[in-house]
Amino acid sequence: MRKYMGTAALAVTAAMLFSGVTVQAAKENVLNFGCAMYTDGMVNSALDENSGWNAMRYGITEALFKFDDNMEVTPWLAESYEVNDEHTDWTIKLKDGLKFSDGCELTPTKVKEYFEYLKKEGPSGSAKPEKYLEFEAVVTADDTANTINIKTSKPYANLMGQLCHPTMGITDVEHIEDFDHGIIGTVTNVADIQNFQDSKDFTVDIASGVRCGFTWMNFDGILENKTLRQAILMAIDTEGICNSKTIGGLYTPGFSVLPSALSYGYENLKNPYEYDPDKANQLLDEEGIVDTDGDGIRELDGENIQLRYISYENRLLNDLADANTQYLAEIGIGVVPEYGSSDDQWSKLAALDYDLNNNNWMTVGTGDPLAFLANWATESTYCAYSNPEYDKLFEQLKGEMDPAKREQLIFDMQQILIDDAAVLVEGYYNSSMIYSKEVASAKIHTADYYWLSTEIVPAK
Amino acid sequence: MKKKNVFLQNKTFVIFSVLAALIILTAIFAPLVTGGADPVKGVLADALLPPSKEHIFGTDKMGRDIFTRVIYGARVSLSSTFAVVALILIVGTITGITAGYFGGWVDAVIMRIADMMLAFPGLVLALAVAGIMGASIKNAIIAIVAVSWTKYARLARSLVLKIRNCDYVSAAVVTGSKTSHILFRYMLPNALPTLLVTAATDIGSMMLELAAMSFLGFGALPPAPEWGYMLNEGRACMQTAPWMMIFPGLAIFVVVVVFNMLGDSIRDILDPRDE
Repeated sequence: MRKYMGTAALAVTAAMLFSGVTVQAAKENVLNFGCAMYTDGMVNSALDENSGWNAMRYGITEALFKFDDNMEVTPWLAESYEVNDEHTDWTIKLKDGLKFSDGCELTPTKVKEYFEYLKKEGPSGSAKPEKYLEFEAVVTADDTANTINIKTSKPYANLMGQLCHPTMGITDVEHIEDFDHGIIGTVTNVADIQNFQDSKDFTVDIASGVRCGFTWMNFDGILENKTLRQAILMAIDTEGICNSKTIGGLYTPGFSVLPSALSYGYENLKNPYEYDPDKANQLLDEEGIVDTDGDGIRELDGENIQLRYISYENRLLNDLADANTQYLAEIGIGVVPEYGSSDDQWSKLAALDYDLNNNNWMTVGTGDPLAFLANWATESTYCAYSNPEYDKLFEQLKGEMDPAKREQLIFDMQQILIDDAAVLVEGYYNSSMIYSKEVASAKIHTADYYWLSTEIVPAK
Repeated sequence: MKKKNVFLQNKTFVIFSVLAALIILTAIFAPLVTGGADPVKGVLADALLPPSKEHIFGTDKMGRDIFTRVIYGARVSLSSTFAVVALILIVGTITGITAGYFGGWVDAVIMRIADMMLAFPGLVLALAVAGIMGASIKNAIIAIVAVSWTKYARLARSLVLKIRNCDYVSAAVVTGSKTSHILFRYMLPNALPTLLVTAATDIGSMMLELAAMSFLGFGALPPAPEWGYMLNEGRACMQTAPWMMIFPGLAIFVVVVVFNMLGDSIRDILDPRDE
């Protein structure tokens, strides 16, 4: 038992060290799964963004569709779908014989009930389910045909991808008593993961980076000043940071919010704010943002620039924030760190209570970057950024069906964000899953919604 | 018979007061000791280097020299510890003497508040207080003072109660001495020696509490060179860069031992029970 406990501790430690996920088999028919936990492990997917991720990652909920490792949409609870030419009328057929974990049948009516629940509860929470399916959509269920019909007020290029998002994981709204901790999802066979053998050997699986580590800059504060934002971007050597021993290559450096590995024209984007601390100093001096009292910190409107930097210990975010702070000190910009839990970070982000706010997000969470790029659209931003030109392109993107035109729109939107110095991009993260040799195929997926899944099987 | 030299009589006290003085001088002259290096400035290309000629204690995750940070850390640790001890001594003494001298409802209110504070484990309550106020060295000091003054208040009160009804106090009262005069002339001098001895022996434990607060993220903020915070920073690299924990850990160990031994020897010299 002591040996087992030691191994379990090692597994958890490994998970912490690599900021990834650890799976390990134990003798007592229990799968020890060490992973990051957000929002105190709550699973209220309708109300809270992280809760939805918890529910899907912990294998409680499944959505109508899911992503494969090429980020192609594949059916999950759904069997197939049909759509009209205008991309406004969707009919989704569910698989036969689906059941919730409480034994109740998963019918189209149940799916409709969950969507209605999202409409009712969504506006008061942080999950913003309307990002994935507009509240105006008319949903009708046909239990006899086992289909659900969704009529949207505007065309959706990729509704199936939107329905893959963890917030859209279907739950049995009618029978749930505790939405925070006891939701009823569809995964019933996790208990089949049994009889693994104890082992000290682990395998590391790394998924290509479609996550972006980035720091929000709050436009509803001192960082409304564009010169200051430009200087910040020019002061920080992201390439040096990503290639340092501290970050250890877990991040690939980049300057756009969408990873260079994706096919959205990264190589043709222009970065006017490459690392150049001398130019950053010059820019600030010319703008009159100077240090008049000789304390090493520049002043703006008579006050020392002390940026509140919110971060949390996950995927090396605190190290990145520390490194950024060190570079900012070089050009006389002060930083007050506020490192706490992921929940602190999230609540301060949602409340616009920060100057700089550090996180690491999935960029193609719905199969393409529409939902991610919504983070800088006036209607759904978390940083008070507003650019009518960006908004216009975003609206076009929502309804554009032609893949080549979509790529162009996405390219243009990236360039606007870069030119506006709207966000501090730190790099693109490679997710990892570490698992015992006694566990087979516990791989991390490109879309890292799927951690504890029914795919996890013993090696023997 | 020739009277023995007072220093030779108290060797432990002499040794540890010299060591304590050395630590304090190192803190004061940190820029000289470290050759002018900046404890918060690092070069990321030099991150996580093991101890070498250039960096005798190695470097940390941000490429900062750990020797410089450990030396500057003495400033933060010593100044905050002395601040805590001085504050709990002052707050505890004033409240304790007031409660003991005036008695009645004043005594009841002060001592019930003290009892309430004592009902919680000290560090846990301090963490809660610091958690509400937000992480910073100042708030960590306030939090520890808020939970630690009770010990001194109870001690001061019991010392005052011992003499409260003595004839010379009653004589002072009937001869019309002002209350403030009685408090400062009779009560305080009576309680102070014992309280000072207690304060001296508390320096080490207060230093550990402050380091614990910083270690847990409720005290010093990055990039401050504080030993507890440095331990926290090194925690994630314990296997790959153990020097990040070893040297700040050693610094805490050495300084706490020196101040604990110094406190013990002061108690040995001054404790009235041994006379």
